[in-house]
Amino acid sequence: MEKLSDGVAPSGGLNASRMGENFFVPSSALRRFFSWGLVIWVGYLLTITLFALTGGDLAPYDPTAQQVLARLLPPFSSSSRGFHWLGTDQLGRDLMSNMIAGARLTLFIGLVGNIIGMAIGVVLGMIAGYYGGTLDRLVMRLSEAQTAMPMFLVAIFFLTVLGPTVLNVVIILPTLIWPSFARLVRAETLRLRSALFVEAAVATGATDWSVLWSNILPNMAPRIMVLAVIELGHVMLAEAGLSFLGVGVQPPATTWGLLIARGRAYLAVAWWLAIMPGIMLGLTVLALNMLSRRFAATSGSAA
Amino acid sequence: MNQPSLSAFLLARLRDGLLVLFLVTLVIFVLGHMIGDPAALMAPVDASEQEIARLRRQLGLDRPFAEQFANYFGSLVRGDFGQSLWQDRPALTVVLEALPATVLLTSVGLVFAGLGGSLLGVLAGARPESALDRGANFLSITALSVPNFWLGLLLIVIFAVQLGALPTSGFASWQSLILPAGALAIIHGARVFQLVRSATFEEMTKPYALVARSKGLPERLILWKHILRNIAVTMLTTIGWEYVRMMGGAAFAIEVVFAWPGIGQLMINAASRQDFPVLQAAVIIAGAFVIVTNGIVDLLYRYLDTRIRAA
Repeated sequence: MEKLSDGVAPSGGLNASRMGENFFVPSSALRRFFSWGLVIWVGYLLTITLFALTGGDLAPYDPTAQQVLARLLPPFSSSSRGFHWLGTDQLGRDLMSNMIAGARLTLFIGLVGNIIGMAIGVVLGMIAGYYGGTLDRLVMRLSEAQTAMPMFLVAIFFLTVLGPTVLNVVIILPTLIWPSFARLVRAETLRLRSALFVEAAVATGATDWSVLWSNILPNMAPRIMVLAVIELGHVMLAEAGLSFLGVGVQPPATTWGLLIARGRAYLAVAWWLAIMPGIMLGLTVLALNMLSRRFAATSGSAA
Repeated sequence: MNQPSLSAFLLARLRDGLLVLFLVTLVIFVLGHMIGDPAALMAPVDASEQEIARLRRQLGLDRPFAEQFANYFGSLVRGDFGQSLWQDRPALTVVLEALPATVLLTSVGLVFAGLGGSLLGVLAGARPESALDRGANFLSITALSVPNFWLGLLLIVIFAVQLGALPTSGFASWQSLILPAGALAIIHGARVFQLVRSATFEEMTKPYALVARSKGLPERLILWKHILRNIAVTMLTTIGWEYVRMMGGAAFAIEVVFAWPGIGQLMINAASRQDFPVLQAAVIIAGAFVIVTNGIVDLLYRYLDTRIRAA
């Protein structure tokens, strides 16, 4: 049942034959990984990352500059300031500039939430899989209990009580995703623990820590990566959902989820305000999903 | 031989479910007590120090944490979730009033998600790499990649604003059900599709399908009789899991988008008015719903799949 909880199903039986192949051979791995479709998705993600790193410097206009005479302009229209690719909002602010400026916080929250969730899941999963026994039962019970909980609702409660701040959003998001990392890592650790090279390391007197860190972790890293790429999409969607519902990031900070929320009031007169930021976010998550599928198909992982 | 194991399973499920529900209330309680002093929040603005202290005693806030939680949990079990601060009625009543609308919306959404997702999934899985498979696959990944509330807004823009065909919000007639239920059906149907598709694909490569094909059975018969029977359990549990997911999040965002008078809408209103009793009642009731559905799906899975029962 575990596999069902991931957003994207494995693509079928093709992968089994590739299991165990060495995927660290750069040339053949790259050749299998390459496709023109993928270049577009990766290019899109790199562009978004560039937007995030430069924090709005690449935006055509100042995202906060208002213009009374150029309110609610549709996409591809001009004002006295110049051309607006995606139109303007109710205060005459350039929508595209706002979306570019919003990339920074959207990506930052997604990445930080994802990395924390991954770290928790990997550590707990390795402990559960390596030591077994009571520790294993405890971790697995915890992850099961949490999966059964309506965590999104708990997140809404949490943010209402403690205040909708970026910090609190970053604290609550990892709780949504760590169980899937813990389950994957536990299963992988169990599998690798009995591998010959792990037994050899143990026999030479390596400490638990060093076995886990330098023998087990590197061997499951590709699978963790595939899952991390999928979960990054989930975290970004969750942040957008919380911000849309008004319990996430608050203005004047900008994320794509918040831009959608802001545009909602003008749906009848200016559809682009809500729809465009959603397309940007949707394309980002779609690119991540495509990347993880490709990655899973070529590394023999069905995560 | 199956009977005792089934009842043992039932009991274990019930215990786990109650445990999770208990954990939810504990989490809610701990969070609720992190806001600082509930007495100061509930007291009138011009209350004196002494009046606040008295209220604190009345509410039992000067007692040890464990005792407070025991009292809190005791009153929850008795069905006392406190008074709504905003409507001045019992919080539980407010939440239970909103529940039928949520159940109606999610049920209709689930039926269409299940039917559409399964049908397309079987057809696509039977013909891998066909135009239908590729197209439906891409569409479903896209549907899973966009924010659920955004999809709702998109449907409003297309069908209500541009075409003027359907009502956008509220709960006026059965027509107002179409867009929100449609949004839920697309989002959750996409995942049903993905899972049914890969199940069908896998089943098609199994020996019995090969035998059926080699003895000359028409492809259609193999698909709709043999394959379908073998993936039926996967299909049903997948759909059941989708209901759990729906009640755990997407349904609430969709309710807010379409101003649907259900629990999600209520929760967000309560959150913006800082009405904690209603908020916590909503989380716990929705949580109980999710947990019960989870249990039923698990049970159904056990009961329907004779292979698991035999094991």
